[in-house]
Amino acid sequence: MPSATLLGQALISGVMAGGMYGLLALGLSLSWGLMRLVNLSHFALAFLAAYITYELGTTYHLAPWWSAALVIPAMFVIGLMQHWVFDRFKVNELASLLITFSFAVIVESGIQLYWTADYRRFENHYSGLSLRAGPFYIPVLELTLCLVAGALAWGTWLWLRKTYVGKALRASAEDADIAAAYGVDHRRLSFLLSGLCAAYAGVAGTFIALIATLAPAQIWSYLGVVFAVVIIGRLGNPLGALFAGMLIGASESLAMAVFSPAWAPVVSFSVLIAILLWDPDWA
Amino acid sequence: MMMQNAVPKLAAVAAVAVLAYLPGAGMPAFYDSFLYLLFFWISLSTSWALLSGFAGYFSLGHAAFFGVGMYTTGTLAAKFGVPFLATIPAAALLSALLGMGIGAVVFRLKRLRGDLFALLTLAVTFVIATIILNTDIDGGSGVFMSAVPMPQIFGSPSATLYVLGFGICLLTLAIAWKVAHSRLGMGLFAIHDDEDVAEAKGVPTFRYKLFAFGLSAGIAGAVGGIHAMYVGFLTVSETFGLTVPLYVVLMSVLGGSRHWFGPAVGAILIGASLYAFTSGSEAMIGRAIVALMLILAILWLPDGVVPTLLRWFARRRTKAAAPVVALRPAAVESTAPVVNRNIVEIRDVTKSFGGLQALRGVSLDVREGEILGLVGPNGSGKTTLINVISGHFPLTSGSVAVDGVQIGNLPAHEIARRGVARTYQIPRPFANMSVLDNVTLAATFGGPARNAREMRDEALHWITFTNLGGKEEALPADLNLHERKFLELARALAARPKLLLLDEVLSGLNPAEIDNAIRLVRAIRAQGSTIVFVEHLMRAVVELSDRIAVLNEGSLFALGAPREVMSDPRVVSIYLGKAYAA
Amino acid sequence: MVNGQSWRRRGVLASLAGMTAALGAPAIVRAAPSGKPVRVGGTLSLTGFLAQTALVHKIAAEIMVEEINGRNGFLGRPVEYVLLDDQSKPEVARSLYEKLITVDKVDLIQGPYATAPILAAMAVAQRFGKVMIQSSMGIPKLQTYDMAFPATPFGPEPDVTYPNVILDAMATVPTPPKTIVVLTSKFPSAQFMAQGMRTQAEKRGVKVLMYLEYESGNRDFGAIAARVKEANPDFLWVGSLGLESNQLLESLRKLDYTPKNHFHLYPAPGPLALSPDGKNALSSTFFEPAEPFLSRPGVKRIAEEFKTRATKANLPYPIIDGQAAGMVSEWQILEAAVNGANSLEDKAIAAWLKKSKVDTILGLQRFNGPFNHGDASQMVKQVQDTEWKIVWPTQFAAPGAKLIAS
Repeated sequence: MPSATLLGQALISGVMAGGMYGLLALGLSLSWGLMRLVNLSHFALAFLAAYITYELGTTYHLAPWWSAALVIPAMFVIGLMQHWVFDRFKVNELASLLITFSFAVIVESGIQLYWTADYRRFENHYSGLSLRAGPFYIPVLELTLCLVAGALAWGTWLWLRKTYVGKALRASAEDADIAAAYGVDHRRLSFLLSGLCAAYAGVAGTFIALIATLAPAQIWSYLGVVFAVVIIGRLGNPLGALFAGMLIGASESLAMAVFSPAWAPVVSFSVLIAILLWDPDWA
Repeated sequence: MMMQNAVPKLAAVAAVAVLAYLPGAGMPAFYDSFLYLLFFWISLSTSWALLSGFAGYFSLGHAAFFGVGMYTTGTLAAKFGVPFLATIPAAALLSALLGMGIGAVVFRLKRLRGDLFALLTLAVTFVIATIILNTDIDGGSGVFMSAVPMPQIFGSPSATLYVLGFGICLLTLAIAWKVAHSRLGMGLFAIHDDEDVAEAKGVPTFRYKLFAFGLSAGIAGAVGGIHAMYVGFLTVSETFGLTVPLYVVLMSVLGGSRHWFGPAVGAILIGASLYAFTSGSEAMIGRAIVALMLILAILWLPDGVVPTLLRWFARRRTKAAAPVVALRPAAVESTAPVVNRNIVEIRDVTKSFGGLQALRGVSLDVREGEILGLVGPNGSGKTTLINVISGHFPLTSGSVAVDGVQIGNLPAHEIARRGVARTYQIPRPFANMSVLDNVTLAATFGGPARNAREMRDEALHWITFTNLGGKEEALPADLNLHERKFLELARALAARPKLLLLDEVLSGLNPAEIDNAIRLVRAIRAQGSTIVFVEHLMRAVVELSDRIAVLNEGSLFALGAPREVMSDPRVVSIYLGKAYAA
Repeated sequence: MVNGQSWRRRGVLASLAGMTAALGAPAIVRAAPSGKPVRVGGTLSLTGFLAQTALVHKIAAEIMVEEINGRNGFLGRPVEYVLLDDQSKPEVARSLYEKLITVDKVDLIQGPYATAPILAAMAVAQRFGKVMIQSSMGIPKLQTYDMAFPATPFGPEPDVTYPNVILDAMATVPTPPKTIVVLTSKFPSAQFMAQGMRTQAEKRGVKVLMYLEYESGNRDFGAIAARVKEANPDFLWVGSLGLESNQLLESLRKLDYTPKNHFHLYPAPGPLALSPDGKNALSSTFFEPAEPFLSRPGVKRIAEEFKTRATKANLPYPIIDGQAAGMVSEWQILEAAVNGANSLEDKAIAAWLKKSKVDTILGLQRFNGPFNHGDASQMVKQVQDTEWKIVWPTQFAAPGAKLIAS
């Protein structure tokens, strides 16, 4: 049986990794839950943001927060442009899957054409830093990511619950016609939300650039796990997405600490299946 | 009309003949392989659509069945020396069993629909992949098929695979066509639109979904088994990656997932485009161009290529005269109400939802041929009683018998087949099916067994009966509320129910429409049905009912002739408060 | 036009242009190759998850084709490389090789990149009796086709020979390691070597504290890093591919742990060398652009040309490495075999190879051992001052370089 230190460290590491899943899941969950649009290009946009952050950081020596200040609004605009297509053509849920997948392929191709398929690492001095808490190490970058993800998730949750705009969005998601009868401008709100989701992708991308090494094919490596996170966390629920991300990250990590790491997916997904069968309302 | 049906059929036969002959024509092996890959994707996407497209149960786990098939063949052939051809049925069987096993557990749980089902199938894929990766089935070193002897049909391995792939493809398309044109398909399409209503109309939803899932999985397994020989070296990451589940969805969406031939069209388009830009110098740009074309395609053809094309052709065809309605009046016995027999016996029925008791021991008899009005204040349990009788909810205790048959805890579709039909207060027609199809389905699943022609005629009869004549091909979205309510009635009637439960059929109608509806309800009773109807509009209740039953807080409060009951001060007080009654 | 046509034309023009050999070639007057081009077909994973290494192969191949055409071509005829993209998918590789052979009717073929596509292509080559040379399949015993030849000297049993090379190297340091942790990705070629490492370590008395496998594509190395730190071995052996080493080492650094001696099997060389975590990392190699390799005929020229083109192609790490050298070796062997057998017939080429030795960038190679493999020549390199330097066997070590151990 592994030591308590090992388990504790694995738990920390897993929750941190889950923060990234949750952050990526955030935008996807919102657009799927509130607008019935399954945006597979979310990952591609995140990586585009990451590559731009990398480029600004290495070629122009721009610190990450400055590039974020440029990249995130740019992503917001891209989200608006994307939504214009959805809106103009009244795209339904299934069609959005196909369209966003294709868009992701286009973005990936563009990335590969410009930056090649070779690995690129934005070397920065934050990447190895850790805080010590007793016998445990908490990596600084990942911790920041989790805090940012938490703030975004919580802020979004508040926004959806407490503000008019948020409530209007949720109402539209439930029944657009009735909401319209109460004066909710579904179209404008949807544009706003699409821009926001893309902006969240931009935030994720900034962190990806700092934490990970980039390659175009990596875009697809998050698809499966983030999809699972989105569904477990319930569509349209920002806090759920974050929590589910951390849960999956933690369960995988703990499984890797106790069993052979290659068995980890069985453990975490079997637990998931068991929960779903027993009571999906728990999630 | 004859020409139009003949041309596509001839084209299909010609295509099959040509494709069947091709490998013998001595073409370069590449074309065998290229076409094999197209057959591969056609089979996979069409099999996926059997459940996910037709019934709307979106599965992300097609790779699980495909992978199980691949590794079944891999293990049996490479490790145990079983002849390759013999492994294919084993692969199909194992995958089908897996699919039905999953379905047997999952489909029982009402709440596991939509995205949760997608998640579950995805999770199953990950679990199976990891198990195969970590056990001797693959173990991480891959399974090498080079030592497995390839049967020689048409003299070359690529031709053999072509023939096998073509065979499975034809079989899959034939199965898809048959399903789409059968009761099973009708039921699946209904499940797609509204599963609860389908169940209430007599569709055995659990059995149908299970069967479709098993079929879908079995085909994927067979395809996987054949593909094991094509690939030659099996690895877990290739087999269980997201490519298969994602591509089958994309292909089905592109081609049209509700049409039996839709996924095939999508598969051909996407499959062929994968080869369009393979030259080394243009690989990346080529992918982007293909993706762009896909976007344009789906933007202009949002329902998929096949449905859009079909609609386009239908519009171009000169408008034929109104469909020839061979209207043999369906044999309807219009017996006078036999007052002395109880058609429904409700004994001590209780229904609790957790801590909330909606029905507290209701006992009621309904006489054959009568119109019984069911009234009561909001929350008194009227709709719950209807839901319990029709089987939408199981009852907590007590019994319900219809025409002497206990229907107490039967699944809703069994109750429907025993002569109980209901309408919904807010009409719930099957949105993607025409008026005629909606009613035909109810006739098919709710009524006695007849052939397709008779059921169609039955449906047409009831459509005319409820004044919807002329709107047979319309979609429910094209109807107004009044018409949709009558569609509800037509659907209920087409099942020739012994007991018809009407849930606030008059709500939302204007006075003229109300009079119309009242006339219709009377006409329905004249045909021999017994009617229990929930209603708030008092004048209609009093006008129509032979007797009125009043529910209050889950108990039967009063029962008797209309005038008596409605002037009973106790009844008035529960509606308006004691002061008014006094 | 969207097929190999434009490449063909460009290839011919490029090879004719390349003959001016303004790259420091000896000024020997030769007759330019002329006549109908010899078309050599092959695929590479230019898109998909194997794309990063395929890129390097492509550049190496382009350089070699130009060089060959700068000499005598194949039997006096210019060579044209018909390259297709197999999208990192073995099934696509299979069908594209069928296309190259049966539709494009190429004269010869070259192997693709990575074990799975190579096996798929090999099956096709076998059906049509084409000789196939490949440079990146790490599991020799799977190369069951008689006319398939390795361009990289793995030797027939690298899982036995190479771990001993590593252990020999480590035996020379002041305090040889007594404990080892073996981590590996469950990718066939890595796992194969990891199992060998475990067996050989045990045979030589090094205690295997832990043997862990993770699935390839694993994202989170935190728990694995924690287990490694807790085990604290003298030697950490990682059967890694691509970025996994970087991810693992970063995770270890976050735990404030630097492994004592760490070896990585097939990492992406650039990122590991340039990373602060890569200090003193050991890895496997067949070639580095330093002496004694640079003295081999033509190598200096090839290395410089590679650097120029890779930089122009915007590659972050434009230095020629073992993978690229493998591709170079492929073409050297094919050129030697064609010219040696004086024939473009596959059978003749294969027969010649079986009884000959070819002097390649990776050394003198023979092809008459089991699975057509010759002597093993896998070496150990180390990151020193952000550069890869071969440290073992000592006769191949970079001048002045010694294995740094802790």
